Amino acid sequence: MKKALVLLIVIMMLVPFVVIAGGQQEQGQKSEKIVVDVMAYGDNSNQEGVSWKRIVEAFEKQNPNIDIDDEMLYDEAYHQKVVARLAAGDVPDMAYMGADARWGAPWKEADQQWDHREYLDPMYDRDLIPAMGPNGEIYEIPLGTSNITTVLYMNEDLVKSLGFSAPETYEDMVAMVPAARQAGLDVVTIDGADGWAWGSCLMSAVIARMSGDRNWVSKAVAGENKFNDPAMLKTLEFVQQMVEDGVITEKSVLVDYGANTSKYNNGEALFMVQGQWVAGAIENPDVKAATQLMAWPELPGQKDGVEGSVAAAIQVGYGLTKNGASDPAVRDAALKFLNYFYSEPESTQRLRDGAIVAPILKGYDVPEDIEPIVKRKVELAQTAMNTEVIDAFLTGAPNDALNSGAQKIVAGQATPQEVADQVEKLVRQ
Amino acid sequence: MNLRDRREFPVYLGFVAPALVVYLAIVAYPVFYSVFLSFSDFNPNKGGNWNFVGLMHYTRMLQDPNFWHALKNNLIVVAVSVFGQIPIGFVLAYILYRNMVKARIFFQSMLFLPHFLSVIVIGTIWKRMFEADGPVSGIIQFVTGDPSAQFTMMLHANQVMIPIGFALIWIYTGLYMIIFLANLQKIEDSLIESAKIDGANEAQIFMRIIVPILWGTILISSVLAIAGSLKGFDLIFGITTQGLQRQNALVLPIFMYETAFRDYSDPMRFAYGSTISNAIVIISLIMIVFSNFISKRFNPGEEE
Repeated sequence: MKKALVLLIVIMMLVPFVVIAGGQQEQGQKSEKIVVDVMAYGDNSNQEGVSWKRIVEAFEKQNPNIDIDDEMLYDEAYHQKVVARLAAGDVPDMAYMGADARWGAPWKEADQQWDHREYLDPMYDRDLIPAMGPNGEIYEIPLGTSNITTVLYMNEDLVKSLGFSAPETYEDMVAMVPAARQAGLDVVTIDGADGWAWGSCLMSAVIARMSGDRNWVSKAVAGENKFNDPAMLKTLEFVQQMVEDGVITEKSVLVDYGANTSKYNNGEALFMVQGQWVAGAIENPDVKAATQLMAWPELPGQKDGVEGSVAAAIQVGYGLTKNGASDPAVRDAALKFLNYFYSEPESTQRLRDGAIVAPILKGYDVPEDIEPIVKRKVELAQTAMNTEVIDAFLTGAPNDALNSGAQKIVAGQATPQEVADQVEKLVRQ
Repeated sequence: MNLRDRREFPVYLGFVAPALVVYLAIVAYPVFYSVFLSFSDFNPNKGGNWNFVGLMHYTRMLQDPNFWHALKNNLIVVAVSVFGQIPIGFVLAYILYRNMVKARIFFQSMLFLPHFLSVIVIGTIWKRMFEADGPVSGIIQFVTGDPSAQFTMMLHANQVMIPIGFALIWIYTGLYMIIFLANLQKIEDSLIESAKIDGANEAQIFMRIIVPILWGTILISSVLAIAGSLKGFDLIFGITTQGLQRQNALVLPIFMYETAFRDYSDPMRFAYGSTISNAIVIISLIMIVFSNFISKRFNPGEEE
C-alpha cells in the first residue's frame, strides 16, 4: 500500500514535467515557423472579426511557414488591452491602429509607430494614403479611403411620403418637423447617449461650416483658435437650436448606438446621423434601398467655402510596430500578410460589407453589381469636401467635456458658453 | 523556534512557498508597483527615467472635483450595499427560514438568480430598461398619460445613483439572503420553540435571538459589501453609456480607468491612476476598520 502510494506521488510529480516537455516539443515545431504577433480588431459576432478569422486561416493555409498569432478584441476592450500591453512592454509585431489622437496616441507615445513607405507594395495607390507623420510617414495601411464620420442618412421614401424632398437647407428640415411629429416619427435620430457621437458625427461637420475653415480643430488644439471662439460657440448653439426646433428630440440623449440604428432601420426617423461605417448595419431591405447618404444641408450662419463638406478622418487599418519591423523575417512575413489582407478580393468584400468607403488600391474599379447604398457612399466620398474630425485631434478630458457638454446642452443642464469655456480651460491646462 | 520547529521548517516552506511565490508575483508586486508609481512621474508606456514627485499626485487628486464626485457616488454604493442589500437579504432569508411564504424554493431561486448572470449582461439589461421609450419610460408614460414622458434620472448627477442603487439591490440581495439562510439553518429549532413557549412573539424572536446569533455573519457580510462596493466597476460601466451618464455615475474604479487608460492627453496618467487605486485601498481599509469598531461597540461579546 505504502509503495503504491509513493508510486502514485512520483507519477503525479512527473506529470508536469511530461506536459512541459511536450509543450517545448510543440514550441520547437512552432519555432520553425515565423510567428507574427498581431492585435486584431473585431469579435466573433461582427463582420470585421469573422472576416479577419477567415483571412488568417486562408493565409496560413497558403503560407504554412507563417503563423499569425492573433489576439482579437473589440471596442473598449481593444483600447484597454493596447494600453496595458504597451505599458507592460509586451509590444505586438502588428496591430490594428490609427494615426490620430485616439487610435494612434498610445503607439506614438510608446514610440512604436513604424514608417511603411519604403516597404509598401506597388498595388497600393499612394495618393489615397494620407501622410500620418510630420515628414509624410505612413504608420498603418488604411482599410479604405478617408473615413467620413458625419454622414446624414436619409430615408428618401419616408421623406417623400410626408410630401418633402431632400433638404437643401437646415430650414427645409425644420419644415418637416410638424408632419414628422404628426406621423409619430423623429426628423433626425442620433445616438446621443454616446458622448462621442456628438463630437465625431455632428459637431465635427458643424464647426467647419461655422468657421469656414476645414482645419479649425487642429488650429484650436495648437492654440491658434480657442474653443470658446464664436465659431465653436455657434456650433454648440446650433446643437441647442436643433433641439428647440424639434429637429433632434430631447430624448436623443437616452438613445444609444444600437437603438439609434434600430430606429432608423425600423423606419422611425427620416434621417440618421452617424459615420459611413453604419451603412453596413442598415439591414431592412426597404430602408436600405431608400437610403441616400448626404452631407448636412446649408446651416444657418454657415460661412462660404465649405458648402456640402463632411468631416473625415484617416481610416484605421493594420500596421507594423517598430518591434515587429526590427526582425526582418517577421517584417517580411507581416508585410506578406498585409498584402493578402488588402488584396483586391478582400478589399472588395470589405466594400460590399459596408465597412469602408473605397479601397486604397491602384486602379481599383468599383464592381458594377455592388449594392446601391455602397455606390452612394462612394459618390459622397468622391464629391464632398473633407474637413477635420474633432476627436482626431482633441483627446482626453477636453474631448470628454465637449461631448458630455453637448449632451448637457440637449438635456438643458448647461449653456453653450459654459461648455465652450470649460473645454478651453481643460485644453490649455 | 525550537529544534523540532527548525527541523520541520523546510516542510512548512515547501507547502507555503509555491503559493507565496504566485501571490507575490500576481498580487503583491502590482500593489507595490502601484505605490511606487503614485510617487513618481514615470509613464510605463513611454519608458525612460523616473523622478520622485512626492505627494504631487495625491494633492492633485484631493483638488480634483472628479475625485470627490466619484467618492460620493462610491459611498452611496456602500450605503446601498450595507443598509439596503444586507437588511433586505436578512429579512428575506428570515421569511424563507420561517416558512412565511409558500413555494419557498421558487422564491429562493428567483431571488438568487441574478447572481448567476454576468454583471455586464445585467448592466446591459438595465441600460435597455432606462433607455428612451424603454420599459421604465413606458410605465411612466402609462401612469402619467404623457406619451412623451421619459425616464431621465440617468442624465442627472444628483439622481443617477437611485436607479443604479435599485439595480444593485436587485443583483446582490440574493447573495446575502443565501448567506443568512445558510447560517439561519444552523440555529437549533428548539431554541426558537422554547422562546415561543416562553411567550416571545415573532419580532422578539427576530430581534432578541436571531439577530444576536447572526451578528458575526452580518459583520462579515458588511465587510464583503464594503470591499465589493469600492472595487465595483462592471455594473456601472455596463449600465451607463460613455459620456454624460458615465460621468454622472462616476465611481472611483471608473475614474481610475478613465484616467489611466483613456486620458492620452495626460502623460502622467498611469501615476495618477495608481494614486486613485491606492486611495481605493486606503478608503476600503478605513471603512472596514470602522465597521469593526461599530460592531464591537454595539455587540462587544459577539464573535467576529
